[in-house]
Amino acid sequence: MRRPLRTALIPLAFVLMPPGAGQAGEFDATVTDVVENHILPRFDALAEASEALDAAALADCTPGPALKEAWGAAFDAWISASHLRFGPTEADNRAFSLAFWPDSRGATPKALSALIADSDPAVENAEDFTQVSIAAQGFYALEYMLYDDQFTGMGTPAYRCALIRAMTGDIERTTLAIASDWHETWAGYLLPPPSGPYRDEDEVLGELFGALSQGLQFTSDTRLGRPMGTFDRPRATRAEARRSGRSLRHVELSLAALRDLGERLSGDDAELLAQVDEGFQTAQDLAADLDDPIFAGVDDPSGRLRVEILQQAIDHIREQEAANIGARLGVGAGFNALDGD
Amino acid sequence: MTSRRTFLAGMLAAGALPTPTWAEAGDPAFLSAARAPDGAYRLCGLDARGQVLFQQPLPARGHAAAAHPTRPEAVAFARRPGTFALVVDCRSGQIAARLDSPEGRHFYGHGAFSADGALLFTPENDYEAGQGVIGVWDVASGYSRVDEVPSGGVGPHDILRLPDGSFVVANGGIETHPDAGRAKLNLPVMRPNLTYMSAAGSIRSQMELPEEMHLNSIRHLALSDDGLVAFAMQWQGDEYEAPALLGLHREGQEPLLAMAEGPMHDAMQGYAGSVAMDAAGTRAAISSPRGGLVQIFDTATGALVEQVAEADACGLSCGAGGFVITSGIGHVIGYDTGSGRSDWQAASEMQWDNHLVRIG
Repeated sequence: MRRPLRTALIPLAFVLMPPGAGQAGEFDATVTDVVENHILPRFDALAEASEALDAAALADCTPGPALKEAWGAAFDAWISASHLRFGPTEADNRAFSLAFWPDSRGATPKALSALIADSDPAVENAEDFTQVSIAAQGFYALEYMLYDDQFTGMGTPAYRCALIRAMTGDIERTTLAIASDWHETWAGYLLPPPSGPYRDEDEVLGELFGALSQGLQFTSDTRLGRPMGTFDRPRATRAEARRSGRSLRHVELSLAALRDLGERLSGDDAELLAQVDEGFQTAQDLAADLDDPIFAGVDDPSGRLRVEILQQAIDHIREQEAANIGARLGVGAGFNALDGD
Repeated sequence: MTSRRTFLAGMLAAGALPTPTWAEAGDPAFLSAARAPDGAYRLCGLDARGQVLFQQPLPARGHAAAAHPTRPEAVAFARRPGTFALVVDCRSGQIAARLDSPEGRHFYGHGAFSADGALLFTPENDYEAGQGVIGVWDVASGYSRVDEVPSGGVGPHDILRLPDGSFVVANGGIETHPDAGRAKLNLPVMRPNLTYMSAAGSIRSQMELPEEMHLNSIRHLALSDDGLVAFAMQWQGDEYEAPALLGLHREGQEPLLAMAEGPMHDAMQGYAGSVAMDAAGTRAAISSPRGGLVQIFDTATGALVEQVAEADACGLSCGAGGFVITSGIGHVIGYDTGSGRSDWQAASEMQWDNHLVRIG
């Protein structure tokens, strides 16, 4: 077992709307398209880019352009797959070990400082490294080691090198395990006819629709909402991956990935597809025009307003186009989630 | 189901069952409110493996229920700001009595019986005064209103009977008024607390969290056999600043707060919908339907030990070997904390509502 904390994989569906969901098999083509052309290529690309990252770190572990570029490419691949948070990514907390963010209480810098201060020998052994704080693993922790002055000079060069290689090796093994599980088991569960944890097609569609809906929510609420803070108290320093200047890039990558999923879930409904494209294009144009890579502009009212307009465009996709996709597939928001007490 | 009810009704009519007990109701292990596929609301009795044993119509959306300690009788409460509660005879399916909250009060959806089953205690809102009260109802006289005592705070939501027969109340701290629906009227000044009261309803002591957590509404309660109280909270502030959503407390001591690290905590989205604790008090679980997640903590250290991903999971109760989880998509899951797997799963057309109430 990777680490003591475990997540049980009892799946999982979004919520089935009462009747009219259609007949079993009605959406076979949609599900097959999403699995084969959206999900599998993303996890293959992630594993491949992570292998290249580890190779780059083994070749030269100093935080220079070559390592940064390899890290950036692998991180891009993760962000482009990070809305697919079910099944293989959730086993053994793999997703959190790749991406410990948001880190509201600063656990990542604390955990890295502790490892370096103690010259913790866990970095010498792959299995031992899986047992260190999950906050010290993955792409976001690596960003500190590559871009943050406090860490690029902390401890000895030899220890920093060993730590960076422990991180890249762990990322490589984790992403390979995810890709392998997808190919060997989980793709088969989703593909028609539904099997494994999925009782029927509705549960499969609920899972896929949930990835779209929750992906939009995460980008709006977390990637944009965290730095926006409140009007009276904007929080630019909470922007994602701001040390490497990647905050806006992550929004753009996630929108591109979610658009691809949204298009595929629209299936052969041309009108819906056109709506989905228009909704995403609006948001993508706003993001492209923002010219504020780490949302530093949220500190003044006009800069904040521009980020807020982008956020509203993403919320609009969720409320309109995604809701229409949900209606096509016969799935909607949760009974308890919608209205708790 | 119908045949069982018909059979039992026949037995009753024949006077064959002079001393009704829970066993005659098919021994339901749990009660839960639900929404049926036709959109109507129900109170359901479930067996230990999540199969529906009986279902009773409710006039509106339910919330939680209180099972009488000895009689096969359950009180199903309306969801706040509801004003009705129905006493259901779980053998016959008949409504044995109906409670209506007095003028100027509404229920919060929870209640607890006294140890001898003679009295029922119900958290209520005295909404003109903006204060919480606990209504006291006499069971023998057909659930007549006999008294009312202060709850010790605003927005009393859940109440549990402690092993010594006294009570603990979760005063959520949020003021609402039926004229404003479920709108929250006092967030800047809210002060939730846990209030311990004697078996007769007089306030004995209170626990308040530190000032910086005043936006953490204490809503739901669970109990171990030896009286450790687990309380679940709902954060009313910035979601990314959300503190712990689970606390553990013994009267007179400092509370222990339990939360996961970083994004694993954020995955709960600042919201715990239900709480349960195993009988030994070693593990406590909270659910977040918004996050589709149940997190299980070690009650001695406050550390996260396991989590279960289940869409729209909310209802929680302890069960053999671990916890039982219900969801808004009709799943009932027996989760074994020893093996870290689901022991069994049941599927239903019912959308299970917020709480799964264990009987006995």
